[in-house]
Amino acid sequence: MAELTSLEAAVPSLRRYALALLRDRSDADDLVQDCLLRALDKIDTRVGEGDIRPWLFTIMHNLFISRGRRLTRRAAWLVHDNDAEGSVPAPQSSHLEMQDMLRGLATLPEDQRQVILLVTVEGFSYAEVARIVGAPIGTVMSRLSRARDRLNAFIEGRARPVLRRVK
Amino acid sequence: MTAGVKPISEEDLHAYVDGRLNAERQRSVEAYLETHPDVMARIRGWQTTREMLQRTLGAAAEEPVPPALNIAHLAAARSRRRLAPMRVAAALVLGFGLGAAGGWMAHGPSVTASSGIAALAMQAADAQRAFAGDHVHPVEFRAAELPGVLGWMGDRLGRPVTPPDLTGAGYRLMGGRMLATPEGVACLFMYDDDHGTRISVVMRPMRERDLTAPMRPVNDAGTFGFAWARDGLGVSVVASKQLPALHDLSNRVRDEMRQL
Repeated sequence: MAELTSLEAAVPSLRRYALALLRDRSDADDLVQDCLLRALDKIDTRVGEGDIRPWLFTIMHNLFISRGRRLTRRAAWLVHDNDAEGSVPAPQSSHLEMQDMLRGLATLPEDQRQVILLVTVEGFSYAEVARIVGAPIGTVMSRLSRARDRLNAFIEGRARPVLRRVK
Repeated sequence: MTAGVKPISEEDLHAYVDGRLNAERQRSVEAYLETHPDVMARIRGWQTTREMLQRTLGAAAEEPVPPALNIAHLAAARSRRRLAPMRVAAALVLGFGLGAAGGWMAHGPSVTASSGIAALAMQAADAQRAFAGDHVHPVEFRAAELPGVLGWMGDRLGRPVTPPDLTGAGYRLMGGRMLATPEGVACLFMYDDDHGTRISVVMRPMRERDLTAPMRPVNDAGTFGFAWARDGLGVSVVASKQLPALHDLSNRVRDEMRQL
């Protein structure tokens, strides 16, 4: 079944997004599993409707909103050294850069974090992101601006203080 | 700014960073950035952040997917969930549960799944649904690895075990795996033909009932085949559709095992 194959192909990116949102591997996989079960319930209704990924991410976003907030609070977006190493391996990225990036993401409000991840990591169009998070496109663009400015300031701020202090 | 050219918007700047502008609009944004160094600095920062974010999270999508998120497993578990109430209803109609309603309440639905080769057939059908559609790891041990583990499989099963040879019927051995059933461990061997049709042969010792039982057809929620038992070993041959060759395949398996 073509729909099941495309469902299967989307699982790795659903896991990545869930992990970036929840910062806990088993919470993330629970969320993905719920999402896949809902998708299997409804998949018969959308044969031949084009790319399945925006639809899947919308399902997962709604599940995350309805019950995931609790989990986020529990995980508190704390990046532990061993935790980040174990759950987000990035062989081509230096460990420190990765740690900085995860800390930077942690400083963003949730709605900004979602938008910047959906655009830059998952590669959705701005219109798709607007549908996934259920917000007008203008709101998506302003969240994206704030997320980018904030994350950039965080990264630059982390790269420089040491130099400044040295004088 | 030139008349007729749309002013550069914030959305244009994002689309520039994300590489989503057409060539013409991209040139307009570049020209704008040339004359606005403050905006240029901001955009450079966005680009750096974007690349770092992709490097940081890119590899997270390359990790192997755990079995709990395997689509074939989930689809199989889901169809079983949907079927469960029907099985309970069928058992009640047959009078299984009526007299022993209290027993059913106490023991849970497992009492309604009859024992003997009917239970074996259901377990074989469950396994076929769970694993035959898997394109990544349908078997635990590939055919080439089986000789090294058959001894162990036989130890677990409590009797020697060999995968039946079905090449004469056009089915190649893909490999095998161990299964857990309420009656103990079972061995599954999976085969496929030139069209990619997969069948499973499941065998396990029978306990108490149906130590020897004649071949009976299996039709369990879209999974078809046959099940029988001989001298305490139960066998079921199943496929995900009604294959005309199934009866012949089952006979071959039975005949080959009789010679052992």
